[in-house]
Amino acid sequence: MDMSVIKETVRNSAIFSIVPSIPIVIGIGIMMQYLGLGISWIRLEVIGALQYEIIAMNQVVTPGQVITYVTVATALVIMTLSILSGPVFNAIFYKRYQHRLAELQQKNEHLMNTLTGALLGGLFSGILSAMLVAGIFTIGTPVVAKDTGVATYGEVTLITFFASCLIMVGCGLCMKKFGWKWMESYALPITIVGALVAAYFAVACFE
Amino acid sequence: MENKRDQYNEEMHRLGRLFTWIALGLILMVPVCYCLTAGVMPLWSKLPECLMFILGYLAIGLVEALSYAPLLGTGGQYLTFITGNISNLKLPCALNSQAIAKVEDGSEEKEIVTTISIAVCSIVTTLVIVLGLIPLAIFQEKIVNALLPISPYVVPAIFGGLTCVLASRYLKIAAVPFVLCILICVIGNFAGMGAVFNQGTMILVGMAVSGVTTTLLYRKGKL
Repeated sequence: MDMSVIKETVRNSAIFSIVPSIPIVIGIGIMMQYLGLGISWIRLEVIGALQYEIIAMNQVVTPGQVITYVTVATALVIMTLSILSGPVFNAIFYKRYQHRLAELQQKNEHLMNTLTGALLGGLFSGILSAMLVAGIFTIGTPVVAKDTGVATYGEVTLITFFASCLIMVGCGLCMKKFGWKWMESYALPITIVGALVAAYFAVACFE
Repeated sequence: MENKRDQYNEEMHRLGRLFTWIALGLILMVPVCYCLTAGVMPLWSKLPECLMFILGYLAIGLVEALSYAPLLGTGGQYLTFITGNISNLKLPCALNSQAIAKVEDGSEEKEIVTTISIAVCSIVTTLVIVLGLIPLAIFQEKIVNALLPISPYVVPAIFGGLTCVLASRYLKIAAVPFVLCILICVIGNFAGMGAVFNQGTMILVGMAVSGVTTTLLYRKGKL
């Protein structure tokens, strides 16, 4: 494999990862008020996911509640048990499962590629439909999260999404029209930052 | 070539399993160590109350492990399930790298690009967290208050652009499931069950719907 592709992958991934990592820091900031810095850090940097961990914590901890050692210990047990299935599957069954996938790839490459496309298509269909429909249904009636108290405005969700699409299309046009090959690596990070700036101003308008 | 790839896969499985067991052991030790040092026991009576929640999360984890496997490759699968934050960070990062490198599905290049991408993403996230924690420890309230209002919009910001990148490649496969998912969500919201049809649920629904519609299209020879 060409070394330049590897170098480019390292650069792309490093640049891409910066902005989406910031909400994880914010998540630690929220969780550390209840569970302390160490536990929040471990849970959100290793094994846990931002969107699941705060919900898992809230099964035991509620805002305003007096936090005791017992509360933290109970929250930790619930959070730990909830996260185990993925890694346990990988440790025990993934090798066999991956062999099956590889066999399928060898026997019928087109079918396997179609299945991969179907999974990706399903992933995007699921995320986009939930996001867009929730955005449309909450126009004028923002949803306030019980745990963080943050309001999610449907209008801002839609503005952010379409701003992201527009900026990406703009980047694509620049690459085509001016031959800016270098922009390929930066297009998605630029898009994310641009869309979040749009979100920032849109939130200020709706608050 | 095949032999080399088999060797690589075997090595990845060996290391992946080893480090997954180590990670699981360490993660399980966190509550044990906490209880020992704090001298307390968890409130076991809370467990039955949270049972449905735990079972739900276990099911999501299992489905994620099954369904993300063809997208993440051998090395990527082990790495992402240890380092977490899959759908909001590692998977989009890997997909972006795959699109830029223009790798083919099922190729060795895709496996390498995906694994490197996820590894770099994990390292950068660690650095961002370390760097972010210093100001966070000093100005916790100010920083959280400033950034919290835009945190719900990170996913639309990522997936808007990423959709444009991948739309042309997967439009034929994704068009029908997308329309069906929109319909399911709209019906769910009209039925007052909008909270149930959240992103976590809809990813699973989307993959199931997409699996069915793609199989039908494949059998009819339209793909």
